[in-house]
Amino acid sequence: MKNLRTIGISALTLAMSSACATARPPADLVTARARFEDASRGAAAKLNPAGMHTAKEQLDLAESSFAADGDTQHTRDQAYVATRKTELAVVVARTLQAQQGEAGIVDAMHADQARAVAHTSAELGRAKTQLNVQNVALVAQGAALNDEKARREEAEKRAAQAAADLARFATVKQEARGMVITLSGSVLFTSAKWDLSPAAQLKLNDVANALTKEDPVSKMVVEGHTDSQGAAAYNQDLSQHRAQAVRDYLVTRGIASDRISAQGLGSSRSVADNASPEGRANNRRVEIVVQPAAQ
Amino acid sequence: MYKPIISIIALPFVWGACVATVPPPTQRMADAESAERSARELGAEDEPAAQLSLKLAQEQTDQAKAAMAANDNATADRLLIRANADAELAVAQAREKSAHLAKQDAAKDSATQQTTNASQGAAQ
Repeated sequence: MKNLRTIGISALTLAMSSACATARPPADLVTARARFEDASRGAAAKLNPAGMHTAKEQLDLAESSFAADGDTQHTRDQAYVATRKTELAVVVARTLQAQQGEAGIVDAMHADQARAVAHTSAELGRAKTQLNVQNVALVAQGAALNDEKARREEAEKRAAQAAADLARFATVKQEARGMVITLSGSVLFTSAKWDLSPAAQLKLNDVANALTKEDPVSKMVVEGHTDSQGAAAYNQDLSQHRAQAVRDYLVTRGIASDRISAQGLGSSRSVADNASPEGRANNRRVEIVVQPAAQ
Repeated sequence: MYKPIISIIALPFVWGACVATVPPPTQRMADAESAERSARELGAEDEPAAQLSLKLAQEQTDQAKAAMAANDNATADRLLIRANADAELAVAQAREKSAHLAKQDAAKDSATQQTTNASQGAAQ
């Protein structure tokens, strides 16, 4: 009798507990399961696996409480907490996502800034290089201008000096073909002759000195001229000999032979009227044409 | 015949013994209140989701205090377990809001910077 009752109570208890185990789960547990299912399909599973693991452990506690004791307050509490743990895992995952997004934006900003700075400094560098090059060019130009100026001044000074020296014993004119030194034929030569008198040689020494000292580079042509009396062929021949005599003498006085040549022009280039004795005297002459030095 | 009587008499004693063995959940109470404070400091009251979680935590903490006052430590303990879960969630929700705001600020800054760089002709 006593045993039977004990068995009966045990059976009843077993039946009750199995009835509890198969009873409908409490709303808290249903919510916890659904929330966890949902979350494990979302980004939280990848971004916050630790949080999701904690949530799963909490859900397991709720499930085992439900399996063992059914819809108890403890099961509901565990399920309630499981829902919060799942929600927590999701919120933390979204926070991480936002922080990563912010970090990405900030990194991109830094990269942009670095690019902008690099671009600007490259531009500055290019501008600086350009300025430097311009500067060098300007300095070179300035130096070239100064050189050029100095050369011109030098040349002008030399020419002026030569002209001044020569003006003392001969007529000096600046013409398009160069500086023309006119020596009177009557001073240099006796009539119909082309050998130079000692007085003529002295005069030519000065010319040679002036030409070598003041202007060592210019080319020159010695031109012989006669008046129109006598045969043209004779005058041509005479003027050639006279020019040659002057040229040869100047070479002996130190003027380089390749700088100076001679040319007889007869009476072809009169400078005065051949009708008068004075005119004829002016036409009888030797001209030394100093060609401008190539600069 | 006498056995059920004994059982009925014994039952309240057994239960009473159980209730009496649960110590006051002072640690859980401290944890819950601390988490609620953190949530408030992080601005949980300005964020609807966090505000709701904080409200649930506070309500259950208050109920737990009442239970402790009535010497029902077991009820207080289970209420505080729930309160802690809600308070912890409120903290996380407040942090999420801050992270979103920071991201928005960064995006705004980035847009400003891009405009500035573009106007300086250096954005290529």
